[in-house]
Amino acid sequence: MKSKLSFLLIALVILSLVLAGCAPQATPTAPAEQPAQTEAPQVTEAAAETEAPQPTEAPMETEAPAEEPAAPSGEPIKIGFFSPTTGFAAADGTSALQSAQLAVKIINERGGVLGRPLELVYYDDAAKPDQASAIARKLIEQDKVVAAISGSYSGATRAAAPIFQEAGIPMLSAYAIHPEITKTGNMIFRIGTLATTQGRVGAELVGKVMNLKKVAILTIDNDFGISLTDGFKQHAAEIGLEIVLEEKYPLGETEFRPIIGKIKASGAEVVYATGYYNEAANLVSQARDEGLEIPIIGQEGYDSPKFIELAGPAAEGVIITTDLNRDSERPMTRLFLEQYEATYGEKADMVGASAFDAVMVLAYAINTAGSTDPQAIVKAISELKNFEDVASGPFWYYTPEREVVRPISSQIVRDGAFHLYHEFTDEALVKP
Amino acid sequence: MLVLQNLSNALILACTYILMAAGLTMVYGVLKVLHIAHASVYTVGAFVGVLTFSWVGNFWIALTVAMLVSGVFGVLIYRSTYFYLLNSPRTVPLIASVGMFVMFTDLLQKPFLMGAYQRAFPAGGAGLPAIKTALFSFTAKQVLILIVTVILLAIVYLILTRTKLGLSWQAASMDREMASAVGINLNQSIAANFFLGSALAGAAGVLVGVYNNSVFATMGDLPSYKAFIIIVLGGMGSLPGAILASLILAIVENFLVASIGYVLPRDSIAFLVLILMLMFRPNGLLGRE
Repeated sequence: MKSKLSFLLIALVILSLVLAGCAPQATPTAPAEQPAQTEAPQVTEAAAETEAPQPTEAPMETEAPAEEPAAPSGEPIKIGFFSPTTGFAAADGTSALQSAQLAVKIINERGGVLGRPLELVYYDDAAKPDQASAIARKLIEQDKVVAAISGSYSGATRAAAPIFQEAGIPMLSAYAIHPEITKTGNMIFRIGTLATTQGRVGAELVGKVMNLKKVAILTIDNDFGISLTDGFKQHAAEIGLEIVLEEKYPLGETEFRPIIGKIKASGAEVVYATGYYNEAANLVSQARDEGLEIPIIGQEGYDSPKFIELAGPAAEGVIITTDLNRDSERPMTRLFLEQYEATYGEKADMVGASAFDAVMVLAYAINTAGSTDPQAIVKAISELKNFEDVASGPFWYYTPEREVVRPISSQIVRDGAFHLYHEFTDEALVKP
Repeated sequence: MLVLQNLSNALILACTYILMAAGLTMVYGVLKVLHIAHASVYTVGAFVGVLTFSWVGNFWIALTVAMLVSGVFGVLIYRSTYFYLLNSPRTVPLIASVGMFVMFTDLLQKPFLMGAYQRAFPAGGAGLPAIKTALFSFTAKQVLILIVTVILLAIVYLILTRTKLGLSWQAASMDREMASAVGINLNQSIAANFFLGSALAGAAGVLVGVYNNSVFATMGDLPSYKAFIIIVLGGMGSLPGAILASLILAIVENFLVASIGYVLPRDSIAFLVLILMLMFRPNGLLGRE
């Protein structure tokens, strides 16, 4: 009995070591062979069409070579990337990683950065702050990256930001939208729209676009949900919305029926609900099951084809605020959506678009700066104007607080897909 | 009005708890092992169910296949691990069980198995009608859960009280050594017990998957500890106790959330109930000394 027991324990230990060993790098799918039909290079003209507030200068482009870009050569330029490809957030993390890899591939096909190939150094942070800070140190000290991108949630991104700040390495937060992240310091930029700003746009959508008054608010109880709700409530007070019910629920909740009963009894005309696509899918399908037929307004957390798949017919008519406009004719949006689907066999989402854009912004900044010097990169990002080479809509400019200013779109689910519902271009509203 | 609707929702929530906890309490009754990996069986059941459903498009076939596969999976867990640890101190199988749960969850997250994404389980109500009255209503999905739970519990009840197998479990749960001394084939009996308990967990996985229309690799995280709270609350090894505890817990959770809102995440309410309970009845509701 003793020997069998010890044999078993040893076997377990070996098995767990093997599993742990192959864990981090297993997820990325090898990009399928893709004929390099990059239709990107005409981006320069497209910039003129946006009614950006300061159309002073045409975007300084990533010198899009007309034909036959010279293959990048020399020492690769390393940028760090971390996202959760295991754990509860694995779906978002995988999407972010795949999109970033796609962006690197496109950039390298277009001649690389400063004539050198771009290289993504990737680690899995499992959406855990402690893991993210260890990864940040590793990226800085061991991998010697010139800049980094967080493809993770607010918690992990907040943990990593001070380490990059201290080391003087620029970091871009792809879709973590907690206000504190950029407040870390002058090295930290954000790609996604700040949560409070997006909340404000949500209130504008309810009050001005849909002309509804009585709102029930349902908030996911974490950084993401609370900052969104703060922005919503602040603007709701300004435009005279009446909040008839406010509830919080924990991450991962699957049973919303008791709350739905309360919403029905509250006399609300519309529900503003924060959360990620899985909570949202449960909420929406249960609401329709229980006969709650009023509009449900979400935000970028819902922005995944998975939301529509999981919620099924109940997703129809749900409106969200988001950074990715799938109906956009902008070349980079089309390129991203099409290439992502062709490469990975599934539809892209907002998280992916943000990670893709982060790589694009970084590549642009290094090219514009003409060097990999951190200060020069930071300067190039802060001076960026009407940057069009991104999937999620033009970047008008960065505020001194390193928040991006650009139009925010809202999308409605119709016939099983997201479609443009309204675009918010009022600078006063969308500026953080 | 709202009270009745909340009660009917709580009843359905309780059904999903009952199936999960019933299997666990049966296993505990006979083996006295705290079988955390039971939650992996639940996930595997849901996964097999959704795969079969997408293959054949019939909920009942999917449920049957899922229960068979998870039953076999449970027996494999027993034969490969617990079987060798039966006479070691109680903590040893417990640790092995935790290890297996973590390992299976990680394995299931691999892209060649379930992957990172949630999968929809669009079985709807499997053709059953919704029930609507003036006072409360059940959706077709809820009717489905209710019916399947009642049928499975009836079967378990019959097996426990009317068959030799059931009697052998009862004997084994009182004293394993004595039971084998009087001629019960302990191994077979335990394996059958694991099969039935695991099949129930698989059924719970399928039903929850259909109810929430989603199946994913980490769906067992919550049941892994909640099922424990239920069997401790009900009295370790007592099936009626597990049923009673599931009902109480579901009702408390639903009404607290519906009346006061989420003062605490609903899952910590379960622990609160457990702690209160243990202060006054350390053996659980229907537990015996």
